[in-house]
Formats: sequence, structure tokens, C-alpha cells
Amino acid sequence: MSGEEQPENGVKKVTELIEMGKFYFLNQCYEQAIEKYTEALDLTPNDPDIYYNLGIVYESINRLDEARQMFEKAVDMKGDFEAAREHLDRIVGI
Amino acid sequence: MRQFAVIGLGRFGMSIAETLASRGAQVIAIDRDEEKIADMADVVTQAVQLDATEERALRSVGIQDVDVAVVSVGEDIQASILITLQLKELGVKHVIAKALNAMHGKILRKVGADRVVFPERDMGIRVAQRLVTPRILDYIELSPTHSLLELVAPHAYEGRRLREIDLRPKYNVSVVAIKRKVPRITSKGDTEFAEEVVVAPSSEEQLVKGDLLVLLGKSEDLERLRDLE
Repeated sequence: MSGEEQPENGVKKVTELIEMGKFYFLNQCYEQAIEKYTEALDLTPNDPDIYYNLGIVYESINRLDEARQMFEKAVDMKGDFEAAREHLDRIVGI
Repeated sequence: MRQFAVIGLGRFGMSIAETLASRGAQVIAIDRDEEKIADMADVVTQAVQLDATEERALRSVGIQDVDVAVVSVGEDIQASILITLQLKELGVKHVIAKALNAMHGKILRKVGADRVVFPERDMGIRVAQRLVTPRILDYIELSPTHSLLELVAPHAYEGRRLREIDLRPKYNVSVVAIKRKVPRITSKGDTEFAEEVVVAPSSEEQLVKGDLLVLLGKSEDLERLRDLE
């Protein structure tokens, strides 16, 4: 029974962490945003959207190598991830 | 409207022709290779397959009337020199030629090229500079003495106003623009940032994390910025 509850709690936790990450990002608190997204990734390592969001944060503060890695992972996981591909192309192109 | 000719449709020539056409310029694209011409037919004003080393062929497409001709033939040095010479003899006002190496560049100048570009060398220098100093994203030489440089603002500048930082007094360089990324959420709920450029910022402008500074100054002064932490 508790086994059924746990994944649900996990999903809720991840959603919360992502929301917090977005909130911090919007308020230009980039380090905290990175922290929240990374925590979310620890719980769901296969979510391309989180990698994408994290890539956006890194790109915003010009940590381009890390941004590139994140976008690459997002594109690897979801081949038709247009937004991630655009960011990746741009970073590689400069 | 300004008219351009691009002779030689390798990657370099092709991207020049495409960019010019996308900006609404009239472009004649020329190459020996029929396939390349077919690819460009829908992109430029006129795509013509001909041997540009022949004066008659060049004349037949009215090349003498273009404002600027770009000679971007690939490996064939002899052809690039011949074409450049023909263009100047036909009276083309401005000829830009791509050189593969220093000697090639020298000859192109001698036969009348108004400007010689070394795209591979220049890109090599840029990439190397970025590797050595990741903080510097771009470097453009404006003249032998002055350059423009795009620099990631150092941590120490975050939250401070331009008049409070030491770029002018210590390094003798001016901030001509600030490129800033403004976080936002798209209609789909994804995070994204909008890129904003503050041109000629006032001394009261406050810097934020992630800002890129576009700096203008003497190359030797800009060089000293590489050590900024």
C-alpha cells in the first residue's frame, strides 16, 4: 500500500521542485534554480524537460559548456525536442 | 538596390549568397557545378552555371554592373586569381576575395582585390581565443589598433553600476553595449530568456549576473582584460 503512495509523492515532489526551479529562474536566482532542477533530476533522471530547463539557466549565466551538455541530453532523450535543438545549435555555432 | 555577385558556391560562398538574399539584396550566384546552381536557383535572384575564368562568360551575365563581387572559389587558387583579375578589368567597383593562405592573399591584392578575407584563419583565431579565455565570446578587429570585444561580466561587477566599476579608469576601455538575458515563461509554460541589448548604456546602468559586455578600446588595453577574474 505504501508502495502505491510513494511514486505519487515522488511525482508531486518533482513537480514542486521544477516549479521552484522556474520561480528562482524568473527571479534571476540562478544558483538556487540550478539546485532545484538538479534535485529534481536526482528523482527523475530521464526527464528531457528538466535538462532543457537547466540548460536555459546555464545559458543565461553564460556557462555554455554545461548548457550544451544539458541540451544534448534533452535532444538525446527526445529527438524532436525543437527548442532544445535550437539552443544547442546556437551554442555550438558560436 | 545594391547588386552582388558571388562566384564559387562552396560553404562559404553559399552562406554569403543566402544571407545577402535573405536581407533582400539582388544576388547573382555563379558556379561551374550544375548541381550547386540548381540548389541556389530558388534562393537568389539569378543562379548561373558558367566558367568564371572566361571573360566573355562573365560579361554575358552583366557582372560589370554589380556593386560588389565576392570570389569564393574553393581549392583552385589559379582560378580565384584569374577571376579576381577579370572582375577588376571588367570594372567591378568592389571585389572581395577569399584567400587560402598568406601568399594567395598577397597575389589577390596585387591583381586588384579590394579586400581579401581569410575565413579559415579568422575562425581558427576566434576559436583559439575562446579556448584560451572562455570569458571572451567574440573579438573583432576594427582597425590595426582598435578592437571590439565581447566579455562575460566578471562576478565582481554584478549588482554594480557602470560608474562604479574600473573598466574605464583602469583598463581605458568603453562599454558600448550590454547584452542581457531576461528570464521569461513561454505561453506553453516553458522557461526561456529574451535577449535584450542596452546600447550605449548610461553610467547609472546596473549590471546583473549573466550580462555580456561589448567593449571598445585599443587592442593592447583589451588584451589586459584577459586576466580579469
